[in-house]
Amino acid sequence: MTKQTLNLAWRLFKHEAKRGELTIILLAIILSVASVLSLSLFSERLQSALTDKSAEFIAADRVLKSRKPVDESWIEKAKEFNLNTANQVYTRSMAFSGDNMMLVDLRAAAEGYPLKGTVKVAEQPFAPGQATNSLPAPGNAWIESRLFQNLGLSLGQVIEVGDKAFTVSKVLSEVPDAGFSVFGGDPKVLISEQDLASTNIIGPGSRASFSYFFTGSDSDLDAYYDWLMPQLDKELQSWVSVSDDDSAIGRSIAKAEQYFLLASLLAIVLAAVSIAVAAQRYSQRHYDPVAIMKTLGASKKMVQQVYLLQITFITLLGIVIGTVLGFLIQQIVVWALAGSVDVSLDVWFWRPLIIAVFTGAICAMLFSLYPLLKLFSVSPLRVLRRDLGASLSSRFIQFLASGGAIFSLMWAYSGDLSLSAILFGSGILLVISLLLVTFGLIWVGRKLGQGKMGAWQLAWARIRRRAMDNAIQLISFAVTIMLLLIVLVMRNDMIAQWQNQLPQGTPNYFLVNITEQQLPELKAHFAEEKVDIEHFYPVVRGRFVAINDEKVSTAVSKEDEEPGEDRGREGLGREANLTWSDTLQPENEIVAGEWFESGEPLASGLYGVSVEARIADRLNIKLGDKLTFNVGSEIINTQVSSLREVNWQTMQPNFFFVIQPQAMTGYLPTYLSSFYLDKSRKSDITELMKPFASVTLFDVDARIEQLRGIVQQVSLAVEFILVLVLAAGALVLIAQVQASMDERQQELAILRTLGAKGRLIRASVLFEFVIIGLVAGLMAAFSNEVSLFFLQSQIFEMEAVLHWEYWFIAPVVGAIVVGALGIIGCWRLLRLNTSHLLRQMV
Amino acid sequence: MIKTSAITKTVTTSQGELAILKPISFEVKAGESIAIVGASGSGKSTLLSLLAGLDEVSSGDIYLDGQALHEMNEEQRAQLRGEKVGFIFQSFMLVQSLTAIENIMLPAEIAGLDNAKQLGQEILDKVGLGHRGDHYPNQLSGGEQQRVAIARAFITKPKILFADEPTGNLDAANSDKIEQLLFDLNRDSHTTLVLVTHDNELAKHCQRQLLMNAGELSEVTLSDDNASSGQKSVISQSQVG
Repeated sequence: MTKQTLNLAWRLFKHEAKRGELTIILLAIILSVASVLSLSLFSERLQSALTDKSAEFIAADRVLKSRKPVDESWIEKAKEFNLNTANQVYTRSMAFSGDNMMLVDLRAAAEGYPLKGTVKVAEQPFAPGQATNSLPAPGNAWIESRLFQNLGLSLGQVIEVGDKAFTVSKVLSEVPDAGFSVFGGDPKVLISEQDLASTNIIGPGSRASFSYFFTGSDSDLDAYYDWLMPQLDKELQSWVSVSDDDSAIGRSIAKAEQYFLLASLLAIVLAAVSIAVAAQRYSQRHYDPVAIMKTLGASKKMVQQVYLLQITFITLLGIVIGTVLGFLIQQIVVWALAGSVDVSLDVWFWRPLIIAVFTGAICAMLFSLYPLLKLFSVSPLRVLRRDLGASLSSRFIQFLASGGAIFSLMWAYSGDLSLSAILFGSGILLVISLLLVTFGLIWVGRKLGQGKMGAWQLAWARIRRRAMDNAIQLISFAVTIMLLLIVLVMRNDMIAQWQNQLPQGTPNYFLVNITEQQLPELKAHFAEEKVDIEHFYPVVRGRFVAINDEKVSTAVSKEDEEPGEDRGREGLGREANLTWSDTLQPENEIVAGEWFESGEPLASGLYGVSVEARIADRLNIKLGDKLTFNVGSEIINTQVSSLREVNWQTMQPNFFFVIQPQAMTGYLPTYLSSFYLDKSRKSDITELMKPFASVTLFDVDARIEQLRGIVQQVSLAVEFILVLVLAAGALVLIAQVQASMDERQQELAILRTLGAKGRLIRASVLFEFVIIGLVAGLMAAFSNEVSLFFLQSQIFEMEAVLHWEYWFIAPVVGAIVVGALGIIGCWRLLRLNTSHLLRQMV
Repeated sequence: MIKTSAITKTVTTSQGELAILKPISFEVKAGESIAIVGASGSGKSTLLSLLAGLDEVSSGDIYLDGQALHEMNEEQRAQLRGEKVGFIFQSFMLVQSLTAIENIMLPAEIAGLDNAKQLGQEILDKVGLGHRGDHYPNQLSGGEQQRVAIARAFITKPKILFADEPTGNLDAANSDKIEQLLFDLNRDSHTTLVLVTHDNELAKHCQRQLLMNAGELSEVTLSDDNASSGQKSVISQSQVG
């Protein structure tokens, strides 16, 4: 490359930038970099905050669970990897107080626990807990409210666990890693790890679980795991991270993350569309200079170098400004959210920056490719014959370059082939349908636009004459509107789903161990106290012992699981809550077989059992299998008659096994129920439960609040993302109208010269843009529906529904917005006087 | 300097082949100035585009300074234009985003000359716009823009200058000035001038005049008839080629 070429390119860039010739393409690149950077930076920071938040539910970033104590050197090694560590031992044991005893969930925590989240304690049973940084001193135990109730204890009294007596010094309200089971778990007792040995309950054959907690940077954690993995005994040990969290919160966060990813992908596509529009305009505006340069003897190579350099300068400038702007936008959003969503600004993520720069560069280069190739093909003869455009007409290169660019960016960014394919596929579908519609429209327009030349006829004439240009414009409008619709509708559907998960009045108390005799009394008492309580589920505790007479020793109760636990291994041989009913519970859905139709046994002579689908899958239980339960000394044989899907995300009692009632006659159940009590009546709870001292009460208000809080934060973040994408979309629309106005300048000048009134011109431009906006909106609504169907059913695991309202909203809003933008753009041109317009054309 | 032999230009239309130029043969000697006159649509500009290597002939041979233009591809023709040809257009064809001086420097830079700026300033002074070098084309009047275009055409001291209706967009006063400037510079630099115009007055300043009529070219003599009402050009025709 010669010095002259570089000089010329730089000079052209400098002057054109100063004269505002490059504004649109520069804005498009700035916009793409800024929106991608702000969106992905914000979402990474938010995700990190949410992951941090959810890390509280396992009390650490990672947990190593083991059935036996691990080698001390493993922990030492973790420290070498700059990780913080703590540990805790879980086991079950009987707690005694005088003559009373109860099976408890004993947790012996070492200094440092919990690494994430807080332990909350209270001075009175069922009182709201306060966070504490300390742990029980040796000799002391903190116990849950219902243990006070069940053992008839008060603070300062003594309980015995194994060989050791503990003074009950605090009410244990909350531990971070309690899991999301709402009933059925044993009351927790927290002691110091130093006291564990003296209880003598841990020994060979005892069923204790050892948890080792780790926090640190992701890279350190991963590096440590890489070191640790080969040494793990898969039978005994498992490595748990937050993403393994299958709880309602874990799922909500996973969905939100997917949404952010989707929004960022759409922002990339929006950016690409705006760059494509701007590059097209850029190319057209440079036909003359290229023809002049060629006429004056410039070689093709020189022309190429000059313009590639210019695009490079523009891209670099755009990327720099876009990065600064994107960072500022993101910062503003984080400031605006401060207090609602706890997003740390201290974290700097390189990935979003790389992605944003990469997006800007790839979009600018690949989307400029075809317009530039066209530009290079401009004949020098244009200096004599002004009507000559570019000779290159193969749109194949354009489709290949732009399609390839969008798809590879989407794929590279999401790492999710199906998500990228769905969005890309629906985009292609949209483009094809739009091309068909546009040409159909032009045909219709020929009929509609006949008659005396008024604004309406002028609008149609223009649409008809610029068929291909209009098709492209229409497509870019429709794609923009579609992308905005997807982001908007997904947000609405997702938030609605989250809110439905925990509607107002979600039960916040659970009652367990209601005896047959207490039942009528309790119902009457609650009615008297005006507390609604409806379903009472009969429950017996039983062991699941065999499948088809083959012995199993597997945990089968959801409530027995620890969060993030490697399912199907731990908690072997525990008891499950068996219930029976002749009606299917709400939120349960039969996915295979049939619900018990009659009181008759099945063909095999056995009574039926309905099994939750996921546990069936896990334990490899099939329809027709014979399942054996052991209740007390009795054996119950049943046959699997149906599989059920259960929505575990609702705070409702759910069961793995529901047995046909006839199989359970003669067994004396206790009952289980749940009810909602308004916060204002929280103090009534002691009074309400007073007559039923033996009934165990679970207060899950805190859990529900925690869940709601997170859903609210995530929803708020999603709304901000929506606003960001909408803003980006609006800017793209403006750029598109500006670009098309440019093309209309010549026509406006001629119309003005011929004496057309401003009103006529404005009205014709308004009609034209309203028609385009209307059609674009309609097509966007259609392709939005198609995309959403696939997105919701394949990616977000939601029920795909039609959104009829948008078939009306999208065209109307499209017509109004595009029409208004058209008029604004037109108004700008009409302000210039005719001679100025004409001079600009030369 | 220019030699054509039976050059034609045909284009394909929906109605079939259309001959824009019928076989044309003529010669222009070095340093000679010729005017191609004729009505709009007669094929003047097409002939100019072929002579200047902006377009390709359908058949026939063109030699420019002894080089076979008809055998060259676009790249080679561009190189030849850069080395030997200068242009002036009716619509000036200045790059709107470059200043006057930068527009003038453009051919020199394309040719790879190191002293483009110095040459540019010299010739800008010569056309009387030395003080307006930093102005953009749209800040200049039509006459000034054409002066910049003329300066641009002469900066590389081309052997041949093609001018397409150089005064076509100008008023009478400016036309005269441009005419003067063009012919003065042409004379000083011994450039071969091919001028396309429908203005007989302008054409008369050239040594020879060729008339283009419906794709055919003929040699004409333009003489002033001062007998009655002012000047009037009389065309006497003789077939060329």
